Amino acid sequence: MTRPDQATARRAVSLLGLYVLSVTVALVLSALLISITGGPWRGVLNALLDGAIRKPGRWGDTLAEATPLLIVSLGAIVSARAGLVNIGQEGQLAVGAATATYVATHLSGPLAIAGAVLAGFVGGALWAGIAALLKYWRKVPEVITTLLLVFIASQGTGYLLTRTFLLLDDDPNKPNRVQTSAQLDESTRIGYIRIFGNEFPWSVVAAVVLAIAVSVVLHRTTWGFRLTVLGRNARTAQRIGVPVVIAGATALALSGAFAGLAGAVMLTAGTANYRFTPGFANNVGWEGLLVALVARNRPLACIPIAFVFAALRTGSGFLAATGVERSIVDVVRSLLVLALLVPPAVAVMRQRRVTPPPAAAAADEPVVSVVVA
Amino acid sequence: MIASALGAVGDILGADAMYNSAMRFAIVLAFAAIGEWVAERSGTLNISLEAMMIGGAYTASITWSSTESVPLALLAGMLAGLLVSLVQAHLSHQLAIDQFVVGLTLNIFVLGLALFLDSRWEAVTQVVQPTRIPVLVDIPLVGEAFFGQPWPMYLVVPLVPLAWWLMFRTRWGLELRSVGDSPQAADVSGIHVNRRRRQAIMFAGLTSGLGGGVLVLGQISIAGYESGHVGLKGIIAIAAVIFGGWTLRGTILGCLLFGYFFALQQTLPVLGYRMNAQLAATLPYLVALFFTAVFAARTRQPRALAQPFVRGLA
Amino acid sequence: MSHPDDALQGAGATAPAPAVQLSSITKRYGPVTACADVDLELVPGEIHGVLGENGAGKSTLMKILIGLVQPDEGTITVAGSETVIHDPQTAADLGVGMVHQHLSLVESLTVWENVLLGDHRRFDRRAARDQVAATAEHYGLAIDPDSQVSDLSAGLRQRVELIKCLRRDPRILILDEPTSVLTPAESEQLFATLRDVVAREQRAVALVSHKLAEVLHATDTVTIMRQGRVVERSRTSGATPSSLARAMVGREVSLRTSAAALGATDELGNPATTPVAARSFDDRPEVLRIDRARLVRGGVTVLDDLSIRVRAGEIVGVAGVEGNGQRELGDVLSSLVALDDGSVTVDGTVVRTGRAGAMARAGVAIIPEDRHDSGCVLTMSIADNLLLDRIDTVARGGLISRAEQRRVALELMREFEVQGAGPDSLFGSLSGGNQQRVVLAREMSSKPKVLIAAQPTRGLDVGAIEYMSGRLRAAAESGIAVLLVSTELEEILDLSDRIIVLTRGKVMGELQRSEATSELLGLLLGGIAAGTDSTGGAHDPS
Repeated sequence: MTRPDQATARRAVSLLGLYVLSVTVALVLSALLISITGGPWRGVLNALLDGAIRKPGRWGDTLAEATPLLIVSLGAIVSARAGLVNIGQEGQLAVGAATATYVATHLSGPLAIAGAVLAGFVGGALWAGIAALLKYWRKVPEVITTLLLVFIASQGTGYLLTRTFLLLDDDPNKPNRVQTSAQLDESTRIGYIRIFGNEFPWSVVAAVVLAIAVSVVLHRTTWGFRLTVLGRNARTAQRIGVPVVIAGATALALSGAFAGLAGAVMLTAGTANYRFTPGFANNVGWEGLLVALVARNRPLACIPIAFVFAALRTGSGFLAATGVERSIVDVVRSLLVLALLVPPAVAVMRQRRVTPPPAAAAADEPVVSVVVA
Repeated sequence: MIASALGAVGDILGADAMYNSAMRFAIVLAFAAIGEWVAERSGTLNISLEAMMIGGAYTASITWSSTESVPLALLAGMLAGLLVSLVQAHLSHQLAIDQFVVGLTLNIFVLGLALFLDSRWEAVTQVVQPTRIPVLVDIPLVGEAFFGQPWPMYLVVPLVPLAWWLMFRTRWGLELRSVGDSPQAADVSGIHVNRRRRQAIMFAGLTSGLGGGVLVLGQISIAGYESGHVGLKGIIAIAAVIFGGWTLRGTILGCLLFGYFFALQQTLPVLGYRMNAQLAATLPYLVALFFTAVFAARTRQPRALAQPFVRGLA
Repeated sequence: MSHPDDALQGAGATAPAPAVQLSSITKRYGPVTACADVDLELVPGEIHGVLGENGAGKSTLMKILIGLVQPDEGTITVAGSETVIHDPQTAADLGVGMVHQHLSLVESLTVWENVLLGDHRRFDRRAARDQVAATAEHYGLAIDPDSQVSDLSAGLRQRVELIKCLRRDPRILILDEPTSVLTPAESEQLFATLRDVVAREQRAVALVSHKLAEVLHATDTVTIMRQGRVVERSRTSGATPSSLARAMVGREVSLRTSAAALGATDELGNPATTPVAARSFDDRPEVLRIDRARLVRGGVTVLDDLSIRVRAGEIVGVAGVEGNGQRELGDVLSSLVALDDGSVTVDGTVVRTGRAGAMARAGVAIIPEDRHDSGCVLTMSIADNLLLDRIDTVARGGLISRAEQRRVALELMREFEVQGAGPDSLFGSLSGGNQQRVVLAREMSSKPKVLIAAQPTRGLDVGAIEYMSGRLRAAAESGIAVLLVSTELEEILDLSDRIIVLTRGKVMGELQRSEATSELLGLLLGGIAAGTDSTGGAHDPS
């Protein structure tokens, strides 16, 4: 191997080592936390594994659970690529699911599925569009507005479930107190694939295809190229002809659309028994965003990572037997996220210490190490 | 129709309970917002403000549950907030991980942790009795709001001038402000940019942790900690800073304004007005969104806000 | 070859003890050696010029002295005792102060706050304000301590820098390329103040510059650096312009452009250069027409009824000290900003200002003043940067053909002599000169009608400057209308056919190259600039 190859190989190995180390630390900390509070950490681990993949039919469930996470994460990547900070997926998903519910409960048949999915897409786009409007017209940072809109969405969609002309189920046989929408007609549900004793909806395949498509579009098309320029240097983008406001608003709306789409998919694939309920989003928005962050904004990497996150979700369903509170999974999840974010950051730090970049003022000296988003 | 609407408005504006409640919300917001103001002037935008408050709230409750000492509980809350801020500060301004990512993850982590620990070690608190300042407390409408609060609430009174003094009358404050506006210039003058930013975040941790403690000891009594109690006030506090155009005065004004709407949500049913609970819950956030969009004066935004600083990459 | 110190021999055995001594200083950045075995001695009562082209290592050396950078090898001795300078605070405590160029004042703070910045001694507002006033008065540098830096002109800001430095009573004063933001008149004043400071208070001053004439004029001793090494040291009085030039560049300086690059056209005036005869372009079509442009920013009129016309094949030079609207003019021509009034017409068609990409589409190419700001994407590859605005040309049906892109990139890199990395490497890994070549390559490859070159050779070494200048001339020869915007008078004189003087967003004077001399231009710039010192409260007594 030549010297630079040796150096690169060494760096890759040490990076891998860092990952192993930090993930181990995260897991050990979690186990410690469980033990300290009197719980069986081994039991918890087994429950998680059982729930996620071991017990019959579970990995199909995990695949189904991973689908909306994947879709949300792809949207998050689009807005990140454009240099925007969208952390409102949870709200955009809820709005998308709500609009999808409206369409799905008023139509039936395969057209209804298409309609619901489209409605979800549009609903999410519009919700994110509010943040885009406020950003480009009133210059309010989108990190704040998308976040505020989450809370407005989750409460607002709850309100929609209190009026029958909106979303509330008007079935006379339904007990009066229950606040849900009508259940989706048999024909408005996404079909399932059945293999090896597992079943999962077709949307799983569609999501993977979508991930590949997003990857190609971002990396190989001229549109993706211009979006990347926009995200890295907005002024340069403006100079070469990328209309910053339109392109940025489109990216933001698109990422909301993906979240809304995920909501629609959740609904038509069986979440909450094909009904829209309060708290429907159930943190899928947040976790989808985390998937994108952990995948460092690479669409294809989102596929396995979404599966891992989904495994935590389905696994947690089996925790009741251990007596350990489900919120431990949030702790484990966030520790894992941190564990996966720290190693690359450390690697960059190390690189910078070895070859520190001279100041831009010293003209002819090369800027050796540059931070890549 | 209009008459009854006007009557309703009159009722609301005339209700002592409204002002009292609004003040409580505003004060809790202010603890966090003042800290965030300092942090944003130094160039960081901390979404993890939420986590700092939750950490403070839970730790204060659990400390009170075991010691029944209010001062000790408040202190514990501050320390918890500080601890969270240390994690935020070092991850985002030493390891250079994106500050929003860190903030988001910390929020999830601390919330999950608080819920989890609470399921094992339950925290019960009792609101401190109001300290009523004689005579002044009898002023109509606002007397109770200003002079009849539980004593931890009054801790905000010295905090405001302290924060102002720190920012404008000390070298530390001068350096913080320079770091938020022109980190390159500060760097060249020998100021350690990221160290100052970390310290600003830690200050926010202290005040928000305290705010969390004041929340559980001064505002609501809880039997069993529930996340809803912090109720995402962290983000409202950030909105208050932006609404206030990054000035201390504006930030406090923002806290008063948003606090009023939290109170509205809570007090309307008490006054006899029925409003759908979910709609009412959206009110403070809608208001925050609206006012921040309409009134925020961009001119004072710290030039380097939310831009990480790496020496050499101008 | 004579030893660098030979010229110093016979200077007298009673020379005062050095204030600071740098011995065998070496600094490496990975494979690049910025400083190699550098010795430097600064003596009280003297102005010591550190001369060298851009990239010679002088900035790095000064950064080491001021504590921003740590040397890999070598020692620093201050007032007789060896020491380590960890950071600017330590440097200040040791009595080393530097007057920086850009990026050194916090705009939103007042003068006194900026002066206090970085001082870790007692923070006292009133004392600071009094000290600022006292220092200002002592050195005749009037300034109002309470004014906000963002309101001050470049010349006044430099005054603040000086005061900030002098207030700490430094033993050693370093000035890093101080005159690039000053008019000739302001430069004169600066050197006068320096002489005063040096003679009266026996301080040691290091003047770092790439301008030969300036060093000849203002210093007592000169040290010349080239490629990180010290190649000559002598008393200024004993040096000739051509010997200094030769030492700086390592070869005979024959081209007029090189002389201009060294800031010494008059001194190195050479008959074997391109003739400066008058050329008429009246028969050529008018390609760029800026008509009564008006732009107001933050209440200040930065472009004021500005009109410029450039014909095909002509090079029009816009001269002016920084801060007179050049940046805003560049922004307008980059489609980044819309004019409030007036118009821009290219080849007969009016172009909408402020609309993304409109200028580029109209055939206006631009090498921006700050390429990192709007001229490139640092974190994308060289190939991406080369095809930034023309990515469609290597794509089919929206899909980019990486092979095609690579082919085009390689060809452009060969044609424009971009060296140091392959097309897939990060743009940011290239040296400054090569980055500029990439920008040039990209702009030229779109076959533009107009080429705007804003500070095109700033920060480049002489070789790169010669290259860029040659390219600009070639562009004009091929019929492109070239607008050169530069603060370097030498560069303007070297390249322009017609010269415009820009002051406060207005055209203050226009002359043909054949009529122009450095003195005349200096007067045009300086004469009007004296009126700009009215901000900040106090007036300049001169």
